[in-house]
Amino acid sequence: MAAETALQLADALAAGRASAGELVETALARAEAARPLGAFVHLRADGARADAAASDARRARGASLGPLDGIPVAIKDLMVHEGEPCTCASRILEGFVAPYPGTAVARLQAAGAVIVGRTNMDEFAMGSSNEHSVYGPARNPWDPARTPGGSSGGSAAAVAAGVVPIAFGSDTGGSIRQPASLCGVVGLKPTYGRVSRYGLVAFASSLDQIGPFARTAADCALALEAVAGHDPADSTSLPEPAPRLRDALCGDVSGLVIGLPREFFAADGVEPAVLEHVREAIAELERAGAKTREVTLPHARYAIATYYLIATAEASSNLARYDGVRFGRRAEARTLGDMYRRTRSEGFGPEVKRRILLGTYVLSAGYYDAYYRKAMKVRTLLRRDYEQALSGCDLIAGPTTPELAFRLGEKTEDPLRMYLSDIYTVSANLAGIPGLSVPCGFSDGLPVGLQLLGRPLDEATLLRVADTYQRRSDWHTRAPDPATWTGADR
Amino acid sequence: MRPPEHPTYEVVIGLEVHVHMRTESKLFSPAPVRYGEPPNHAVHPIDLGLPGVLPVLNRKAVELGIRAALATHCDVHHSSVFARKNYFYPDLPKGYQISQYEDPLATGGWIEIEVLPSAAGDDGYATRIGLTRIHIEEDAGKSIHDAVVAGADSSHVDLNRAGVPLLEIVSEPDLRSPAEAGAYLRTLQRLLRYAGVSDADMEKGQFRCDANLSLRRHGEPALGTRTELKNLNSFRFVEEALAAEVARQAGVLDAGGAIQQCTLSYDPDRHTTRVMRVKENADDYRYFPDPDLIALRIDDAQIDAVRRALPELPEAKRARWQAAYELSEYDAGQLAESRALADFFEAVVAALGGGARAAKTTANWIQRDVREALGERGVELDATKLEAGALAGLIALVESGRVTAQSARPLVSELIDHGGDPETLVRERGLEAVSDTGALEAAADAVLAAHPDVVEQVRAGEAKGLNFLMGQIMKRTQGKASPVAAREVLQRRLRGA
Amino acid sequence: MARIDRAEVERIAELARLELAPDEAERMAAELAAILGYVEQLDELDTDGIEPTFHALPLATPFRDDRAEPPLAPERALANAPDREGFAFVVPKVLDEDES
Repeated sequence: MAAETALQLADALAAGRASAGELVETALARAEAARPLGAFVHLRADGARADAAASDARRARGASLGPLDGIPVAIKDLMVHEGEPCTCASRILEGFVAPYPGTAVARLQAAGAVIVGRTNMDEFAMGSSNEHSVYGPARNPWDPARTPGGSSGGSAAAVAAGVVPIAFGSDTGGSIRQPASLCGVVGLKPTYGRVSRYGLVAFASSLDQIGPFARTAADCALALEAVAGHDPADSTSLPEPAPRLRDALCGDVSGLVIGLPREFFAADGVEPAVLEHVREAIAELERAGAKTREVTLPHARYAIATYYLIATAEASSNLARYDGVRFGRRAEARTLGDMYRRTRSEGFGPEVKRRILLGTYVLSAGYYDAYYRKAMKVRTLLRRDYEQALSGCDLIAGPTTPELAFRLGEKTEDPLRMYLSDIYTVSANLAGIPGLSVPCGFSDGLPVGLQLLGRPLDEATLLRVADTYQRRSDWHTRAPDPATWTGADR
Repeated sequence: MRPPEHPTYEVVIGLEVHVHMRTESKLFSPAPVRYGEPPNHAVHPIDLGLPGVLPVLNRKAVELGIRAALATHCDVHHSSVFARKNYFYPDLPKGYQISQYEDPLATGGWIEIEVLPSAAGDDGYATRIGLTRIHIEEDAGKSIHDAVVAGADSSHVDLNRAGVPLLEIVSEPDLRSPAEAGAYLRTLQRLLRYAGVSDADMEKGQFRCDANLSLRRHGEPALGTRTELKNLNSFRFVEEALAAEVARQAGVLDAGGAIQQCTLSYDPDRHTTRVMRVKENADDYRYFPDPDLIALRIDDAQIDAVRRALPELPEAKRARWQAAYELSEYDAGQLAESRALADFFEAVVAALGGGARAAKTTANWIQRDVREALGERGVELDATKLEAGALAGLIALVESGRVTAQSARPLVSELIDHGGDPETLVRERGLEAVSDTGALEAAADAVLAAHPDVVEQVRAGEAKGLNFLMGQIMKRTQGKASPVAAREVLQRRLRGA
Repeated sequence: MARIDRAEVERIAELARLELAPDEAERMAAELAAILGYVEQLDELDTDGIEPTFHALPLATPFRDDRAEPPLAPERALANAPDREGFAFVVPKVLDEDES
């Protein structure tokens, strides 16, 4: 039996059947039970208890801040929370405590959410398996020998394991949707600019976006409402106010046209079981009244190459600030040059170094036009593909990932193979459009995800379709067996 | 004409000037712009380059950038791009500087400079210097390497200056001598102050200059290898350093050597340039558009609004004053030197009712008495208590004959030091002019009696003696005699009446 | 597109202030070569006349009014400093070779 959703907990709180204090204790106890999964890198027991007490006090005097008030929430270890550590699962940020508030976390707190802890991730969000973490890997609750996906693996695992109903992650090339798919939860990457990046530690600035994980689309709607909306502190923040997404969850998809990209269903290397479950889920939506039509994304196969050029170029510059001068871990050295080199070489893990090197290379003199500028032009072609496709349908559907959760260690020796697991997700980031993964079945006991991609700012349609599907399916009501977790980290 | 700086070689100089714009807050953060604070007392998380922070552009900085561009006849671009310039240095918090590279704010302008006649006897001349570009960027912090402050094996980093809005103004290689470089910098500084873009105080690091210099034989079309002079922190040093570098390069070339591309600093004690580092290969700054900022768009309406708000600039003022007030080129130029002085001049003229006569009289007073008093005190006009209304009042008293110029002149210093109302001062000190005929006749009789020889000369037709006698009357009346009335009385008495 | 070898990796590493052991540089060269080989597929596309998309946003950069806010309290600004003296960050002496 799966743990309660946030909306169920909100009802219980409103009806006086539960207190925020109890919910925090439950979350902390479940986090303890799930410790072998490595989902959390920092639990905020005292702070969360204090916040929960404040929430209960508000409610007692009739001043509840809304449905999120008192709900336990987890955040990825790259979201800045004033006065709390923020390490991005990197040795280089060892000991760093943020002296300023990040927008998303501040908005969650303003909505009364109780932040219980910080979740594991690939270092600086670079990875698709959560294995590139200084804290060791996070593990998949459905099979702890397997990856929860990445980079927001800890957030996906924390929700799948029932520790918290809502967790936040970030998605640069699929880092919310891929782990959501592999862990059997809903994960939403909003439109670029929908959620402020002020206080989101940057990996690739033109692609990064914060978004929620939850077991249901309805909870994702609740979570996104709290953090979305214009922020003057982020120049790339969209001017639109936070939408009332829950109003869109009408349970009706009749008349909607779902585009099925030829390239997503014919691609080589996708596991047959994945395609089978995805097709079945689409058939269910057709039975609910949706229509389907084939669309084409002719440049989709160039998305990975384009993505890795752009993301690494931006990352190489974004990560230059980790120099041991003003914060973070510094290596001892007699000269400044040695201090820089040792600090960065000891502080960054191999995947981060690889991407910094690649990004530095593609921006360096003589290669800029051939690589970076070329990638930016292909990005235009990809964006046009989606504009074209979405002019003939309301949303696009397909698999989230080409495969099920793979074994830890299976791909760490082959970075390129690891990159290819993002093949269906990266193009949404390049085009700036919203994307969502919703559980649509199990194969060999491992979850499969259906990916929905929408028009810019149209998260509402994605959530409406996913919610309708969840009303007609029960995949999200299944829960992994905590007994399998014991000793998984040994 | 422009005299050649060197008999064999033509000197080719281009200047890069960095100017702090006059804003309250930084270019991309709301931290205050402050000078002289203890280290790291004027920083925001954005200036520290903390993980997760993002830049938001200061509107005023863009307006001031447009002002500078319009004041220097540049084209302001409708779209320009902020790019990251990537390099590591402890005072560069993010590991990159946000600057503009491929698409700057403005390009293609010019300013007119005037080179004054030289001590060597060359004539003065005016010439036009092209501007390549103007772009907006953020300043870095400061690294303090001083062994006394920071210790022998460490450096201190202060980020108060990090993020202060800068304009980089790049000239074409149009300058042909150190004197032209000096004139260019002074003209640019005056323009930027006039337009309210910058206080441009070199001592505060608000106006900094780097120079590129190369030599080529006269008539040779191709440019020579250039060297770069960094951190020239006064106008005098710029001219001296460039002169020293001309001599150094000419020496190398005369000896058959080749100039090596390098960066130099200037040693003002030894009057020589010193190589800081040799450029082996070009720096690789990996510029790319900053993904945290979108393109900067400026439409014609914004440019027009800035243009309308632009104050009248010095050249325009000079031309107008020469035409409308018939001021000499020299006086007009001097009065337009600073905006404070120009505004003061115009305020005095206006208080006197305007017109060429009032302007000329005012110009005389300012050029002679005000300037002299300021010079004695070593202060600028706006640092004194002299108000335009007060000077106008004093001039009016003189013009109406109620006070003689002689009596009035010492009051200028009084007004500069203490302010006050000239009317009251004149009354309190009894400086009103004597035009009472009886008193004047008495004074004249006494003077004539005391100097019979001079009286003889005057009566014989020597005009010089008349001035002497006038002077004596003034002396006897402590300068309070109205010169017109005194002259009348004197001439009457000389005729024997 | 260019080939990447160990010497090139070392040049890039220095630009990025990373220090690689010789075997690490060798391995990185091989991995980067594989990735760049994959990326070469972009050469198939004719992108002449295509405008680059630096951002998926149809916006111009917004402005902030020029109003100063109180700065970060100096103790907070320096709280994460690995080394400090008074209110200054302290770093090992900058030598000429370190200058960029």
